Amino acid sequence: MTALLEFKHVSKQYGSETRALTDVSFSVRSGEFVSIIGPSGAGKSTLLRCINRMIDASSGEICIEGRNVLEFRKNELKRLRTSIGMIFQHYNLVDRLSVMENVLHGRLGYKSTIAGMLGLYREEEKQQAYQILGILGLEEQVYKRCDQLSGGQKQRVGIARALIQGPKMLLCDEPIASLDPNASKVIMDHLRHISTNLGITVIVNLHQVETALKYSDRIIGVNQGKIVYNGTPGKMTSEELERVYGSERREQRADQGETQAG
Amino acid sequence: MSAEAVDKMIAAELHLRPDRRLPGIPPKKPFNKTALTIRLTLIGLGLLTVLAFVSFDYKGIQVFQGIYATLLNLKTMFLQPRLHHFTFAAALFEVLITLGLAFLATLFGAVIALLLGLFSARNLSSPLTSAAIKGMVAFIRAVPTVMWVLIFAVAAGLGSVAAVIGMTFHSIGYLIKAYSEAFEEMDKGTIEALKSSGANWWQIVFQAVIPSSLSYLMSWTLLRFEINFSVAVAMGAAAGAGGIGYDMFMASGFYFDLQEIGAITYFILGFAILLEIAANRTKRKLKPGK
Repeated sequence: MTALLEFKHVSKQYGSETRALTDVSFSVRSGEFVSIIGPSGAGKSTLLRCINRMIDASSGEICIEGRNVLEFRKNELKRLRTSIGMIFQHYNLVDRLSVMENVLHGRLGYKSTIAGMLGLYREEEKQQAYQILGILGLEEQVYKRCDQLSGGQKQRVGIARALIQGPKMLLCDEPIASLDPNASKVIMDHLRHISTNLGITVIVNLHQVETALKYSDRIIGVNQGKIVYNGTPGKMTSEELERVYGSERREQRADQGETQAG
Repeated sequence: MSAEAVDKMIAAELHLRPDRRLPGIPPKKPFNKTALTIRLTLIGLGLLTVLAFVSFDYKGIQVFQGIYATLLNLKTMFLQPRLHHFTFAAALFEVLITLGLAFLATLFGAVIALLLGLFSARNLSSPLTSAAIKGMVAFIRAVPTVMWVLIFAVAAGLGSVAAVIGMTFHSIGYLIKAYSEAFEEMDKGTIEALKSSGANWWQIVFQAVIPSSLSYLMSWTLLRFEINFSVAVAMGAAAGAGGIGYDMFMASGFYFDLQEIGAITYFILGFAILLEIAANRTKRKLKPGK
């Protein structure tokens, strides 16, 4: 299998002092489900946003299908972003618009400026949106305004908006950090399903180690901008976890007891 | 005893005997430079007031008689309002003209301000463009509307054209600030989400920014409409823009007709209240479910 995404010695520097990423290298195969775990402020979000250039890396190479995205110009960048879906912790929907309109926002990258501004979508696009909403169990909410939905429903709208882009890759920035355990499970099941059945690569930033271990094909542990673990969940030992989380993890474990799924 | 209980006791004690000083409670505010400045300023102002009243040249005016005469005038104005020089229908028509002036100024102002407001919102524009527009707008707003009308009267001549242009100008200044602040309130995550899906700037603005801030935009625009209505009344008098303001000016300065002034004031008041009600209705309609 070929690598869809490849990080080669990527670093990101904010100003002259703060280093968010230091010499990060890894690769992700097509269709893989990868979780990035690590303490707050470790650089997980920066890492994720470097992929679709919402943040520009300072040095190194980020290759998608063999092409370095750091060299992309305006139009290539737009095409790149169109082919990568993104899901956020706070859903980032337009609350005042309906579910349908929010999902169709995922098509804006394919439309002309005028058609996009006025929200003129083709019939097929609307049908596709409806189908995706059906798969995610939101048929009944199609014309509701987004501020009337629960958190879990909003996140599913977020997933629908990403899916209608027809992406090769889904970047999820803490998708379940604001959700209750039940809604979290629904969202993670959907993401797993997307990866397994649709063959879309899914890269998830996670706070919950147990969830990461349960759902992922591979775990990447980040601490202080460096990759400290890169391997399957099965090989993740408690020593490795301690290296990822440092002392913070030790305190957490003292609270929770030794719960470690494998 | 807990700290809370102590606090409660002290509070109770103070409530019963406010003059008593408890240990641990500062007896009075510390006397510092700020307090001194404030006190000196107040004393200075007080002295100046006394001095002014003492040194007034009253020219034999009886203060109480003057007040009585004013009250009498007000009574004629507001308790016996009557139209003499035109009919009720004509007055209505004149109010509509004033309303039209206000409407035009608000409409032009809103359209131009919407565009410039986008460019001056910090989250949607470059820092340089934003700062440039905001600086210019601060200058426009600093000059009163009447001044703008008179400035444009140089080119357009006194009348409704100058009035509308001048009012539009000030409305633009006012609304750009209001709009851009509404846009800046916008959740930046939503903008990021659309950007990350490949949408361009115009698409983001029309699909996310404007829908999200629509109720703010509407309420600012309606507020400006109300302001423009009252400015248009004044412009009718000051700049010869026509409308009810001009009739008011004629009734007071030319005919000296107190009863008519009263009637016109009631007209304007009535319309202002109607506007307010209509504005509130519209705003409420825009915010369903909240």
